[in-house]
Amino acid sequence: MRPRHALHGVLLALPTLVVIFGFIFFPIGYSIWLSFTNKQTILPDYAYVGLGNYVALAQEPEFWQSFWQGIVFSVGSIFFQALLGLAAALFLNQSFPGRGFVRGVTLFPYMLPTIVVILLWRWLLSATYGPINFILLSLGLVQAPVVWLSDKLIMGSMIFVALWHYFPFVVISLLARLQTIDLQLYEAAQIDGANVWKRFTNITLPELRFVLMVVILLRTFFMFTKFDIPWLMASGGALQQRVQNLPVYAFRRTFGIFQAGEGAAVSVSLFLMLVVLTIVYFRVWRKETEA
Amino acid sequence: MTLRRVSRASAMSLGSVALLTFCGIPLVWMLFTSLKPMQELFTYPPRLTGHYTFGNFTRLFRETYFLVYLKNSIVVAGATVILNVVIATLGAYSLTRYRYVGKEFLANMTLFTYMFAPIMIIIPVYMLLKEVNLINSHLGIILAYTSISLPFTLWLLRAFFQGISMEMEEAAFIDGASRFQSLVYIVMPQALPGIIATSVFAFVAVWNDYLFARILLSDPTLKTMPVGLQDIYESTIVDWGLLMSGAVIITIPAMIFFLIVQRFLIQGWGMGAVKG
Repeated sequence: MRPRHALHGVLLALPTLVVIFGFIFFPIGYSIWLSFTNKQTILPDYAYVGLGNYVALAQEPEFWQSFWQGIVFSVGSIFFQALLGLAAALFLNQSFPGRGFVRGVTLFPYMLPTIVVILLWRWLLSATYGPINFILLSLGLVQAPVVWLSDKLIMGSMIFVALWHYFPFVVISLLARLQTIDLQLYEAAQIDGANVWKRFTNITLPELRFVLMVVILLRTFFMFTKFDIPWLMASGGALQQRVQNLPVYAFRRTFGIFQAGEGAAVSVSLFLMLVVLTIVYFRVWRKETEA
Repeated sequence: MTLRRVSRASAMSLGSVALLTFCGIPLVWMLFTSLKPMQELFTYPPRLTGHYTFGNFTRLFRETYFLVYLKNSIVVAGATVILNVVIATLGAYSLTRYRYVGKEFLANMTLFTYMFAPIMIIIPVYMLLKEVNLINSHLGIILAYTSISLPFTLWLLRAFFQGISMEMEEAAFIDGASRFQSLVYIVMPQALPGIIATSVFAFVAVWNDYLFARILLSDPTLKTMPVGLQDIYESTIVDWGLLMSGAVIITIPAMIFFLIVQRFLIQGWGMGAVKG
């Protein structure tokens, strides 16, 4: 288009530029700077401490506990999200009466606010009057009500709740891709005598591989940086330690004991971990696709 | 052959029942709980018969700040969507209709923000908003929400604008239309389904958010519903009927919008409308 209008183009993009740089990149830069200081959240004075916050974190058991719990939560919930998401997407790609309705209901948990998901499942899983325990007791599967939100089981319960909330994301992504697979591939395979399983492993899975890799990477980003689920699951109570991940740890450093410098160092570490993960992921991926 | 058809039909029914139970029954239970008087929730075994009442809803409105939270949520989410869509429409038009140095860089920069964890953005945003006295203000949180949701609204709208042919616009220019007229009368009407879908995604993201509201708003008269409902949970002896009636109210707009965009959802996914 006519180059003399380039200025108009820049002017139209100006609000976007201001918002992205003013409210995202500038704060990120500020956060990195904060991580090298001992600034407190509500006090104006501060001093530079260099890498002091990072050195202190590396020696802090709570940091590593949060790190590992974050890994357990992410890996556990992503594995089941992918598995159930794949199964549901394959099923919902078939044609059968009432498919639209079943699809709608299946995708809906993803649209719910996290607070609703957490409160609803705290109620469903509640030990004394919860319907889940009632069903398990009636079926004779357990002899006594299970305390799902106990010290031992809370991580497993949280992984389950995250699975319920987020597996529709995998379903939507895979369904979109499944609809683009050329049906002639299946017809040709059928003529060649390939059974259902063979058609799945030789056609469907390879076609889905790319989108699955992207979905798993995205879900890793989202689950590893999740604040609201671990925070609300324990509601700041005694079990917080059991489910705390790095975002919750950063939050508690910044707003619990008002060490903004340390909190910033935690969130910068979290970002660096994601960068490393992304690089490793794409390396492995390239090797896989070349092989 | 008939046997095979029958077994396929029963497999389909079985699958449907399994998915409907897994995803739907918890939601039905939420509604059921919200309509039950408290004493009936604590009977064992749970019964579907008995009384149904709106008592929990009236208590929620009379005895808690919930109506204030509801109003705050509408104000904050509504203002964010308007601000967001105006900025993103101008930005997307610029990215698809002009050529200038750094355009691709700007587009990629925006996508790059997906790499930052929300907690990494909100902590410094809190510190900075505190400097300018915008903590505990709707203006502050609207600005923060606009910025966090702008990358995906911009990318989504950019994809829509790319799909709109430039020929009609060029014809309009020959007839003497200005850029602004062309944007308002030619591009926007064609992009309207995209703009609506984008608004819905932005609205739901803000409506559902807990983290930003938790950090930026502490005054009970300013809080939005997710934080407000959690406060009700923490401040009372756990009253599931009351809590579930609040949960139902938060869910209703999400459900309405879901019905609007459901058809679009699977298609929109390919365009990067994903977050959370």
